[in-house]
Formats: sequence, structure tokens, C-alpha cells
Amino acid sequence: MDVSQYLDIFIDETNGHIQDLSDSIMILEKEPENKDVINEIFRAAHSLKGMAGTMGFKKMQRLTHDMENLFSEIRNDNIKVNSALIDILFNCLDAIEEYLETVKATSNEGDNGNEALIQQLNDFLNGNHDAPAAEPAENEAAPVKDDADNADAKFLSIDVDDITCGKMKEAEQAGQNVYGLTVHIQKDCLLKAARAFLVFKAIEDFGEILVYSPSSQDIEDEKFDLDFSLIICSESQLDPILAAIKAVSEIEKVDADKVSYKDFEESEEEKPQETAVEETAAPAPASAPASKTAPAPQKSSSSNKAATTNKPVTARTVRVDIEKLDALMNQVSELIIAKNSLVSISDSEQNSEYNSQTFHDQIEYLERITTNLHESVMKVRMVPIESVVNKFPRMIRDLSRKLNKPMELYMSGEETELDRTVVDQIGDPLQHLLRNSADHGIESADERRKIGKPETGSIFLKAFQEGNNVIIEVRDDGAGINTERVKAKAIERGLVTEEQAENLSQKEIIDFLFMPSFSMAKQITDISGRGVGLDVVKSNIEALGGDVEVKSAMGQGTTFIVRLPLTLAIIQALMVEVRNEKYAIALGSIQNIENISVNDIKYVQAKEVIHLRGLVIPLIRLDELLDSAPKEDNPENLTVVVVKKGDNYAGIVVDNLIGQQEIVIKSLGKCIDNNKIINGATILGDGEVALILDVNAIF
Amino acid sequence: MAEELTLDGVEKEKVQYIVVSIGNEHYGLDISYVDNIVRMCKITRVPKAPFHYIGIINLRGEVVPLMSLRRKMKLDDDVFTDLSRIIILKTDEQGLIGVVVDEVKEVIALSTDEIDHNTKSSNTDKDNYINGIGKNGDELISIFELSSILDEVEAS
Repeated sequence: MDVSQYLDIFIDETNGHIQDLSDSIMILEKEPENKDVINEIFRAAHSLKGMAGTMGFKKMQRLTHDMENLFSEIRNDNIKVNSALIDILFNCLDAIEEYLETVKATSNEGDNGNEALIQQLNDFLNGNHDAPAAEPAENEAAPVKDDADNADAKFLSIDVDDITCGKMKEAEQAGQNVYGLTVHIQKDCLLKAARAFLVFKAIEDFGEILVYSPSSQDIEDEKFDLDFSLIICSESQLDPILAAIKAVSEIEKVDADKVSYKDFEESEEEKPQETAVEETAAPAPASAPASKTAPAPQKSSSSNKAATTNKPVTARTVRVDIEKLDALMNQVSELIIAKNSLVSISDSEQNSEYNSQTFHDQIEYLERITTNLHESVMKVRMVPIESVVNKFPRMIRDLSRKLNKPMELYMSGEETELDRTVVDQIGDPLQHLLRNSADHGIESADERRKIGKPETGSIFLKAFQEGNNVIIEVRDDGAGINTERVKAKAIERGLVTEEQAENLSQKEIIDFLFMPSFSMAKQITDISGRGVGLDVVKSNIEALGGDVEVKSAMGQGTTFIVRLPLTLAIIQALMVEVRNEKYAIALGSIQNIENISVNDIKYVQAKEVIHLRGLVIPLIRLDELLDSAPKEDNPENLTVVVVKKGDNYAGIVVDNLIGQQEIVIKSLGKCIDNNKIINGATILGDGEVALILDVNAIF
Repeated sequence: MAEELTLDGVEKEKVQYIVVSIGNEHYGLDISYVDNIVRMCKITRVPKAPFHYIGIINLRGEVVPLMSLRRKMKLDDDVFTDLSRIIILKTDEQGLIGVVVDEVKEVIALSTDEIDHNTKSSNTDKDNYINGIGKNGDELISIFELSSILDEVEAS
């Protein structure tokens, strides 16, 4: 079977499961006795195994299978969770991730068998695992069999094709138990298929269903009488499985027994014709190349695949809520209606007075639709930052061990949504900042104890929306930035003279940290200290149209504030005029608009400020900032646009206000990009180009 | 272009140049860099941009930066007339870039032996963006080294 078309889904879902596993294992490390988490882990590992099997990735399947075995033992309390075990599990996760990367790049799982890891897993398994599960299972199954009428045990007469037979054989050899089951449903049951489905669900918690009789399709379509039979493989013993099945209502009784592939081999040979019916039953047989009985087709299919699909397969996809798509569809139909109305107006030859009125109405209608449409499309592009920040707890855990500093990551606001492109690129910068906090920020446990801080350091990652921006804060309660040392380093590197350094503000000193190859780490570790950190962070974030701010207090910690635009393409803006040039200011950053008399301007340190409702707001003359031609007359009143960035305000003096408009942001191109005040251009209705002011750069 | 060459029936090694005038000199631009030629339109000044950028224009919905070859070559500043044109150059690195010329004259094809490369005496002059002199009859045409003009864009 050609599974390449499912590759995207596989990659997507595997990512999800790896994330779930990673999260759960983190929790497990803290709460080794938490049964819910263990079950969660078991489920995720099982799904991973199933998917890898379906896709024919045998090595991946083998690894996940062994992991699953281990989890199962943990679940049965045969193995205790300890940190060595957690380490192995994380290594396994890394290995799976590696497989996934290879799959992404080549649509093949690669050659790494990860034997060492599997060996480790099995050592753990054997070291603590005394009794094989098979024996008690048989004993306990016996009484069940006794009160079951033999004629009801229809599972013994299931036709099994050789592929499934091979799977059973394999499962037995892997130490799993293979059971045959016949489930009888009560006569007055109305939704037989639903009951059957619940039974399958229950069983899948324990193991894999190998054979359905009748086929799963028929069962789904209720094409069966009052009973159906299954052959399953599971590590679990029979009793809990039976209990789970009986927990489904309207099940009359279940006949079950341990079976072996040998029971079926014979009958299968007698009726080779009928096996085809079974084959389509479960998705599992699709992975049949796993079986030893059919080595030839497996080889040919895998070599086939290598030849045809040996190219990178990572399509960039977004999962979209169907409701969002529906909304989009509705708006497009409205758009078409609006267009038709306009067409009919232009066609009609009624009196122009009436026409211009309806025309105006329709334009307004159209405007409303395009605004909504824009909003919907943006929503489709928005994804929660969760997908990026989820890997961080694991990273901090690893760092904590590597650096030998106890620390804890607290995250909030993972559900904050950002444009897909931003989310894709924000991962690295955030990772840098977190590493930075872990390595430079948090002190060693000894030091922390000495100064009376809790031994475990805390790192906070907080995301939230503020106007048209999303703010991501990375905060630590570590030592803070030692500005004296930064200053000394800057002087040492010849960036400033000593006299200059004396007059630098704290902010200016901190800005040195963002210079290329300026590292404060005393030692170079593989975590940080090579000086390719913060400057990359800054340039990456600025490339996304955002900025980074640092706040630091000695001995109390450092906060990095990353500010990102919510969307990249279209914003609501206020158009202003300076001389004859038009500029756009993003509406999100505008606080209010004031009319100020020249007499109200005060001076603080020779800079113009206004005193407004208790706030002292510095004035920025836009014409001076933009080197415009000097003004001829000096008006008595100034139009001031008050903008806000974080807790800072500034008043921008403009000549004229034009009005609010929805603008499409266009890049200026690389060549004029070194311009900090302008962060883009937009094309106005009359074809003129207007520049967009980057308010954040004004502060 | 290929068609024209076969019609001429001459050597295949000919390169086509757009001949423009800037001041009273003629310059040639390799046609393979040229996306199209447009009339002057409203230019929006970009504050704090590098000196040789006049501003940006709206080219059918795209924002295209506009460079002044005169400023680049330290000549007198542009005077826009009815004959002034903007030649849109396409580059791999920066996308489209417009350059302003005083007049577009004609398109000529020159073979390599019709271009004299030995005139680059002033190698030290960093403002020299000419890589050869082409001869079109009596006329001398300075051939722009467009890659170096555009490359410097990044440096600026």
C-alpha cells in the first residue's frame, strides 16, 4: 500500500504525540505515582507505535514498541520511576524525533537502529521484571472458559490470512499475549455498531486488534447478528480486558481465551480464497510488511518508495478550525453579492441622484465585507504560540541538569495567538533568551542560598496581547545584569572610552549586550557564551517587525520583553500629514489625539514636553525627525498624536490629520531597510505611496 | 532577442544594451537586467534613506525603491523632464530597483569586440561603475557595470 499520501498527517500527528509524551514524562518525573499520567503516556506511545507501524517505519515502531513495554510495566507497578529511567525515556524521545526529522527530509526513516537505546530499555525491563505475564493470564482465563459454552467461542473459527498470522506470531514472540474474543450483544440492543465500537475502544486501550470477524467495515455497518469475534494482542492479562468490555452496556457476555497462531495456520491453508475479506479490515494489516511471512513484497515496496518519494516532504500546513473556514466562505459570498450590486448600479440608467446614493451604500457595504474578510483570513493564519513554547519545559529541565542549577520554568499565555510566520520564527530567539536566563541569569544553588533566595531558580515565560502587539516576557529571578561588568567589558573591547562610559545610562549599557560577539559569560559552554546570542535574537525579532527591551535589577533578575506585531500584512492606521508628505501611524499604538497650544509646551532638560492629565509626555517634532522642509508659519496650536509603548508615552507633532484607514503593509526592500523610523510603505487609494512610521523606534 | 540576432545574421555573442542619456553622456544598460521602462511618476521621499535613493514609487501595486545614477556618480542632481524615464531593473537579491535616466535613446546590440574594456584606468575611483566603452558608429557609450551598482546597494 502506498502510504506516502498520509505522510503529512503522520508527521503532524507524530509531532503532537512526541509533545504529549514529553509533557507527560516531565510530569511523571515530578509525580512518579500519578496513574493518569502513566496512562496518558501509554496511550501516546501506543498511538506512536501504531502510526509508525502503519507507515511501515519499522525501526521507529520497534523503539516505540519497547518504550510501550516499559510503560506498561510502570503501569503495572513492576518498575519504579527514577531519574535514570526518565533520562532514557527522554533519549528515546530524541531518537524518535530524529526519525521524524529523517522522515521529513527523505520520507524514509533512515538506518539508525538505536540498538543501544533499545538495549537500555530492555535492560530496564528485564532487570525489574520478574514474572512473565503469560502464566497467570492462562490460569485466570481458565474459569472464564469454563462457564462459556464452547459453541459460543466463535473466535476459534475465524479465518486468518497469513499476514495476520505472522503478526500474531510476532506478537507472541515479543512476549505479548494473543487472545481470541467473541462478544455477544443483548438481543434488544438498538445500536449494535455503537456498542461494537465502544468495545473496540476499550480493547485498544490494552492492545491491538489483529482480526475482526466479520470485518470492521461490516461491523460498523451493523452487518452482523448478535455476536462478533476478534483476535487481539496485548501485554495485559485477560481479566482487565474482559472487565473493560463488560463495562460497555448492553453486552450480554464475552467468551475469551488465549489463542496461538498455530491454531489458525491450518484452517487458513484450507481456505486460502476467503482470506481477502479479512485483509481490508484493520489499518494494521496495511503495515503487514512487518510480518516475517511476507518478506519479499516488503522489500520491493520499500525500495519503490525510496525511488519515488525520496524528496523533502515537509509541506507547510496549518490546521484550520472548520468554523473559521465557514465564516470565510460566507464573507466571500457576500463579497460576490456586493460586486453584483455594483455591477447592476453601473448598468442601470436611472436618475443619477438615486444612483450615487445606492452606490455610496454599496461601497460602504463592500468596505465592511473586506474588513471582515481580512479579519477572517488573519484568524485563519493565527496559531497559538503553544506549538513553539511547548518544547521549553523539557529544554529547561535538560539545562538544569547540565548546568547543575535547580530551576523551574513557569509558562503562561501559551494560548496567545500570533501570525503563523511569526510563530514559526520566534522559536529560536525565545530559546536563546531562555538559555540566556538559565546560564547567565540564574545563580548556582550555593550562591542563591547565601543571599537568601530559594535554591530553585525560577524562569517565567509569559505571553499576552497588548493592542496590536503580542508581548512575550522572559523573566528570571537571578542575579540581574551587572552593568559595571558590562561597562568594563565594553571599555576593554574598545567600544567606548572610560569617560564616555561614565555618562552612559543603564539602558545604553544593556544595549551593549545586543552587539555582535559581545559575550559576558566567563566561560564558554555549549549552552551560551560564544557571543552569538542576543544580537541574533535582536535581529531575528526585528526582522519580524518586533523589538526587544530589557529590564534588569541587580540581584533581583532580568526581564526580556519581546514585542511582536499581531499581524504582518494589514493594519488599521491613522494617516497624518507633515508638510505635503503622508505618513501612517498604526492605530494600535495611538493613545489619543490632542490639540495643544504652543504656550503649554514646557521644557525639561531642554527637551519639549507637555503636561497632560498628570503625565509628562515628551514631544517629538515629526518634521524634524524626518528632515522635512522647515515650516513657514508658526501656528498657535499643535496637533499632537500621543502614542504609547509599554508604559512610555510620546507626543508626535504633525501638521494635519487625514483620517483612519486600513492599510496594506509593503516592505521597502532591502536597500532602504536600514531605516529605523520607517518600517514599511503602503499604497493609498490614489496610487500614491505613503510611509508607515514605526512608533516603537521613536522612543 | 534570439530572433533578432538570427535576423541580423551576425555573431551570436552580441549583447543588447538600452542606450540612455544622463547629462550629455550616453550610457548602456545590459538589457537582461531590465524589467521594464516607465514614465516618471509621483516619488515618495524616504527620510533617512541613503543619499543616492530618491525615494519609492508605486509600480502597479508594488513598492519599488528608486535610485539616482546621477547622485551615485556624484553628478548634478536630477532634473525631471518629459523625457525622463525610470528604468526598472530586476535583481536576484533585492527584487526590483528603479533608476532614473534623462532620456531613453534606443536599443543596440554590441558584440564583445565592440566594447573596449581597457578604459578602466581609474580603478581606484570607487565611484566608477563603468566596465567598458562600447562603440556604436561614431558614438561612444559607457557600459554600466550594473552588478557593481546594485551590489553596493547592500553595502550602503
